[in-house]
Amino acid sequence: MLLQLAGLLGLNLLGRWIAQSLHLPLPGSVIGMLLLFCLLMTRVIRLEWVEPTAALFNRHLAFFFVPIAVGLLAYGSVIRSDGALMLLAGVLSVTAGIAVTGAVVTWLQRAQPEER
Amino acid sequence: MNPKIAWMTVASIAITVGAYSLSRWIGARRPSPLTVPVFLATPMVMVAITVTHIDITGYHQASTIMTYFLGPATVALAVPFYRHRQVLRENVLPLSAGLIAGTTVAMAGGVLLARAFGLSAALQAAFSLKTATAPVAIADAPHVHADPTLVAGLVVVCALLGTMIGPKLLSLLRVRGEVARGTALGAIASGQGVAQSLTESDLTGAAASIAMVLAALVVTLLAPLVMRIFGG
Repeated sequence: MLLQLAGLLGLNLLGRWIAQSLHLPLPGSVIGMLLLFCLLMTRVIRLEWVEPTAALFNRHLAFFFVPIAVGLLAYGSVIRSDGALMLLAGVLSVTAGIAVTGAVVTWLQRAQPEER
Repeated sequence: MNPKIAWMTVASIAITVGAYSLSRWIGARRPSPLTVPVFLATPMVMVAITVTHIDITGYHQASTIMTYFLGPATVALAVPFYRHRQVLRENVLPLSAGLIAGTTVAMAGGVLLARAFGLSAALQAAFSLKTATAPVAIADAPHVHADPTLVAGLVVVCALLGTMIGPKLLSLLRVRGEVARGTALGAIASGQGVAQSLTESDLTGAAASIAMVLAALVVTLLAPLVMRIFGG
């Protein structure tokens, strides 16, 4: 388990290093994720080696958002002044995004019927 | 590190773990978008650190330590993506075209509305990232000059809105296909959307977890461009 954690931390750091040295406008962690996917696809890393720790992270992913959301405590004034407008913009753009995604997938599946 | 800060850091981590565990316990008993951990645990921690006079300044060190693990947590997203790659292979065109279209609409729409409402440039930038899964959105924040904390708050609220509006909206639009529903919920409501999709069916959940990762990549790549075109 610790070795798996070290692997994930290592890929994260490697991703950061790649982003920095190549001046990529991508977060290192996203590059680390792509690296892990490539390593899984090429079978350099087997799924069972990373699965337990990855599953633990994925199950408790929400834990790591809590401290960041707590930081909103320092943003009371922004939320009081702009919160309602932010909520409205959020509702409208999220609704549009879900509608468009669902409609486009449905439409393309119908246009190009697949065997499933 | 002086002993007082060390003590406050340990207490802050303990409070956060406690609040998270309690919220998981409540969420398991009363599953609803309103009982997701971030929504329940965040106010608990806010109250606890205020009452104990740790305050946001004393909490800062603990926050830095805990959020460091968002990096490896993002790397770990490759695993569900790899596991469900078959769903992607069988639906590659509809799934990717749908999520690129939907994500772009949500990003551009959010930025334009924020701008029309007279919100600051930093808030507009936060709106360009709001549909990505939180760890990626937070990591993207500096690249578009958005505040990571506001981005995180916005992501959580927008994902919550997506899971509340999404299933009914999709049914209203007669989107019944499992892949279509999963893609829409995963792409726009990220982790909470995946959880919601899993309650519909396994295939819906698999499509959602694929869509969440791909949509996060789309947001990462397009956010700077969207801000340049629509931001102001």
